[in-house]
Parts: sequence; structure tokens; C-alpha cells
Amino acid sequence: MTQENRSGRPQGRPPEGDSRLSRTEAQLSGPFLLFFVSAVIWLLAASILGVIAALQQGSLAGGLFRGCEILTYGHVAAAQRNLFVYGWGFNAFFALNLWLLSQLGRFELRNGWLATLGGAVWNVALTYGVVQIFAGNQTGFGLLEFPREVGPVLAVAFLLAGFWPIVAFARRPTGHTFASQWFVVGASFAFPLTYLLAQLLVLWQPASGVVQAIAHSWFVSNLLLLWFGASALAAVYYFLPKVLGRTISAYYLAPVGFWTFFLFASWTGPSALIGAPVPLWLQSVGVVAGAMLMVPVIITAINFHGTLSSEGGWSRAWNDTTLRFVSFGAVAFTLFGVLNAIFGFRGTNAVVRFTSFAAGQEQLLTYAFATMVLFGAAYFVLPRLTGSLWPSAKLVHVHFWATALGAVASVVALLVGGFESGKQLADASISFQQVAKAGAAWNVALTVSAVLLLVGHVAFALNAFGMILKSSAPASAGRHD
Amino acid sequence: MKNLNTLLAGIFLAVALPFGALVISSQVQLGSLGRAPAEEGGPLFPSREPGLAIQGRTVYVSLGCVSCHTQQVRPAGQGSDIARGYGARPSVARDYAQQGQVLLGDRRLGPDLANYGARAKDLSSVHAAIQHNGQFAFLYAGSKNEVASERAVALAAYLQSLRQDYSSPEAKLKK
Repeated sequence: MTQENRSGRPQGRPPEGDSRLSRTEAQLSGPFLLFFVSAVIWLLAASILGVIAALQQGSLAGGLFRGCEILTYGHVAAAQRNLFVYGWGFNAFFALNLWLLSQLGRFELRNGWLATLGGAVWNVALTYGVVQIFAGNQTGFGLLEFPREVGPVLAVAFLLAGFWPIVAFARRPTGHTFASQWFVVGASFAFPLTYLLAQLLVLWQPASGVVQAIAHSWFVSNLLLLWFGASALAAVYYFLPKVLGRTISAYYLAPVGFWTFFLFASWTGPSALIGAPVPLWLQSVGVVAGAMLMVPVIITAINFHGTLSSEGGWSRAWNDTTLRFVSFGAVAFTLFGVLNAIFGFRGTNAVVRFTSFAAGQEQLLTYAFATMVLFGAAYFVLPRLTGSLWPSAKLVHVHFWATALGAVASVVALLVGGFESGKQLADASISFQQVAKAGAAWNVALTVSAVLLLVGHVAFALNAFGMILKSSAPASAGRHD
Repeated sequence: MKNLNTLLAGIFLAVALPFGALVISSQVQLGSLGRAPAEEGGPLFPSREPGLAIQGRTVYVSLGCVSCHTQQVRPAGQGSDIARGYGARPSVARDYAQQGQVLLGDRRLGPDLANYGARAKDLSSVHAAIQHNGQFAFLYAGSKNEVASERAVALAAYLQSLRQDYSSPEAKLKK
């Protein structure tokens, strides 16, 4: 255990850790590595499916996969999205959230086998669900596509695997708390609640008529903002001050940012239903909540970009692998919030509705923000847990450039491509086929970006797995920091 | 922020209040919608779904058709749905009251299908559309894919049952 300087530590800065592998870290390395390794395997699977889906999107007849029932676009797209979200996003944040709150709360994971069991159950249920999607047994509700028997299993697995951060928060020895802790506790508590209620009203006891769609939109916005968004914000709040060795600028705003984020995020769901046959008041609530979400977006922007802007923070961030990824993500989050507010309004939304624009916003949040932050976190945490260095600096470069360029290219292709075709679709004299033809170039860009992402992920996986394998021999030599 | 119970209570409210206000209250508002005549004594709409169409919807769901096709017509001010001929009037909540599963969709890689049944010329054109130039040829047998499988027959019946071409109390057709 490290000695804590209770009086001297300034606000807005996580406590200084020991550079040696601490006991809290040694105890969680088992579950952490299980979550991390399965996350990366799912990420690879999702990116292969991403390439297939991008190839299919360009051609009505299915191109290479013509006449193949298993690989119809409806199957591939659903499996890709679920693998990315539940396979990569959840496993990776199980690992990172557990590590973060153990660090911040000096928590010793005693019953680690429970977390391991939860991780195993989660991954088995996920595998079953994806196989069922390919077998043609899906529900038709985005991100709830798994057959309904998977839902309760995933919920139980979440409680076993993802609830530890809350235990760590409850058992922390100090009264002091840090922004990352609030966001992780929020994410770990909000998700199971949301998931169970949505499962109930969408799949087990379906609400009547369009209320299903309303419940579904509420679920999706909670999943994306309160799990991906909150977990990744927690990581940014931790790594920026930690690696730069300074306090968060205007940290006193962070509690306001936290509460406004949780207050408004869950109301934004119906903004995905503008123009749909649901009550108008509901759509307006979604629009207003989307605009109000600018408050936490501005606060996090002041916190993050303010911290990075002082004393050459940006150039230091650029020269540090962890911060390079994390600050990329921090910029992406601000961009997401601004776009979300602008294109939430009825007039602008009518233009981009039903195009690839919404997928672009999701990609901006879940990939350019959350996934890039997760990569940055991996570069910080893994060397500490395994006690060895990243095997190849070249692969780190390949990883950064391929994923950064791939993220930018895919987001631009989906957003700009969606906006362009939306403008053409607004003019009824341009036929649907003409619009599709005009968007063909964007589909090429999308395919190229999917290949870039796959390359980046393979480089990351090679490097990470090489490091984990190398470290199975217990050695404390060659520590990263 | 230091007290776990306060934190959890706040987060619970932040999730549960929107659930109550958005989902439960719209169930209260819309849950009892049923078939209704547009005018006193007129025929009841939406029609009941034929059994074959209900089977066809499971095919529609299992193939993931919803990832490319929406089933909702926006009002005239928002987008060109009506000008494009996707529907004669905007969709309203009552149109979906008879459907066991509502597949509004959120992406149009293909055209909207809310009113497809009224648009399709005849059964053979529906089958031609289902094939998508050959991608869904696995639903058909025969040298020219002229023999529809059971699933294709059900899917076609479902697509033909998708109609929003009647007046309802909330959205009257313009005469």
C-alpha cells in the first residue's frame, strides 16, 4: 500500500500511485486480463464483420455475398454492432472501470473469481446471441437483437462482472472522491437498471404499438451515453491529470458536469424519433434534452481542453502514447456533443433522418471517443499489470495512425455522406436510385476506413497479446514507467 | 458526492424519471389505441393482420430487413416522404396498434415500406422486389427462382399487408 498525503493533495487530481505493482493491482490482474483479452478478440471479430458490412452496403445485390443467407446485410450489420458494443465496449470497460476504481479507492478485490465467473458467463451468452443472429433468430430492435433469453443472463453476468466498481467505491478508505469515481459508479448502476427495464418492455412483456419504439429509443440513448459516454469520461478525467501531472482546469465545475450529464442524457432518447408516429410532446422533450446536454459537454470541454491547453499540454499529450489516444477521444466527445445538439433540432434533423448520419454520430461517440480512450488506457494499464514493455514500438505507431485515420474517415464518410444524401432526398424529384448512386463514393471511403480500422486492431492485438504472453514469466524487469 | 447512497439515489432518479415520463406515460396515452372508424359508422381501421402476414413478419425480422427499411411516413413539413410517394398521409400511432411487433426502423438503405401493400402492383412484383436482384435468391427455388418458398410466400403476404391508405381519426386522407 502506498502512503497517502492526506493534507497536501490538491483537488482535481487523482492520488499518486506507487510505480511498483501494488497489491490492489496484483489481485485484479486475473479478471482484468480475462476481460481485456476477450474484449480484443471481439473487437477483431467486429472489425472483420465491419469490412464485410461496408462491402455490402455499396451494392443492392449483396456483391460478393450474393445469395448467401447467413451473410445477408441484416445479419452482418446486427452482429457487428452487437459484437462491438457488448463484446468490445462492455468487456473493455469492465476491465478499465474495475482498475480505475481499485486504484482510486485502494480496493483489494478479494472474491475475484466472481468477476471472472461473470466475465465467462457474459462471453458465453454473447457468443450464443451472435450465433443466433446469424441463424436468423433476432428480435429486430437495434442493440437488443439477441433472442430474449439472452437478456437475463447478460444482466446477471453484468452484476457479477460490472458491479465491483460500486463495491470499490463503498469500501474506499478516504472520504475524498474524484470525478472518475462518480462517472464509473453512475455507469455501473445506470446500465443494469436500463437494460432490465428495456428487456421487460420491449421483449418479455412488449408494450403496445409504438410504445415499443419509444422504450427502445430510451434504452439506446442510455446505453450509448450512460455506459459508453460516462465510462469513457471517467477515464479521461483520470488519465489527463495523471499523465500530465497537473490538476484538471476548473475542476470545481466537474460535479455540475456530472449531474447535468446524468440528468439530461436519459431524456434524449426520443430525439431519435423525430417525425415518427409518436406524440409530438415526446419528440420535443428529446430535442430539448439534446440541447441541454450541451451544458455537460461544455463543462467537460473546459475541463479537458483547458487542462491540455496550459503549459504545452497538447505537445506533451502528442508525445505520450496514452495521452495521444485519450486527447483524441476528448476532442471527439466535444464534437459529438455539438453535433448532437445541432442535428437534434427538428429542421436539421429532418434533413439527415434515415441516412447514415445517425450511424456517424454513434461511431463518433463509441469509436472516436470511447474506443480511442480505451486504447490509451490500455497503453497505461497493461505495462503496469503485466510488468513488461510493449514488444514493438512500430506496431504502436501502426495502431495509432490506422485507427485515428480510420476513425476520422469513417465518421466523415457517415456524417458528410449522410448529410449529402439527405439533402438530395429532400428533393422528391431526385429518385432514390440516383441518390444511392451519388453516395457510392462515400461507400468506398467507408470500406477503406473499415480496412484501416481492422489493420489498426490487428496491430494492437499482436502487440498486446505478445506482451501478455511474454509476461507469463514473472519478471519485474523492463517496466514501462 | 462522497455518500454512495446519495449518489445512487440521484442516478436512480435520473434513469427512472425519464423512464416513467417517456415510456410509462406514453403507454398510458397510447396503450389503449385500437381499431377505429374515421367517421361515425364507417369501417374500422387498421385491418386485422392476416395469419400469413404475421408469419411473414417473423421472416422480415429474422432476415434483419429492418436494418435497411423503415416503416414510417413523416408529415409533409419534414422530409419528402409524401412527395416521394411513400404514403398518402403521415403515419400515426394508431396504424401500429394491431401489430405485435413494431418495426419503425431508423435507416433507409432501401425505400420505406409503411404503405408498400398499397403501392405494389401485383404479387409477382412483390416477389421480384424481395429477391433484390438475386441477393435473396435463397428464398426461391427453380432455375429462374420462380418457385417461392414458404418463407417467401409469408414475407410477400406480410409486405402486401402493410397499408396506411385509409383515413383514421388522427390522419384523414385528402379527398
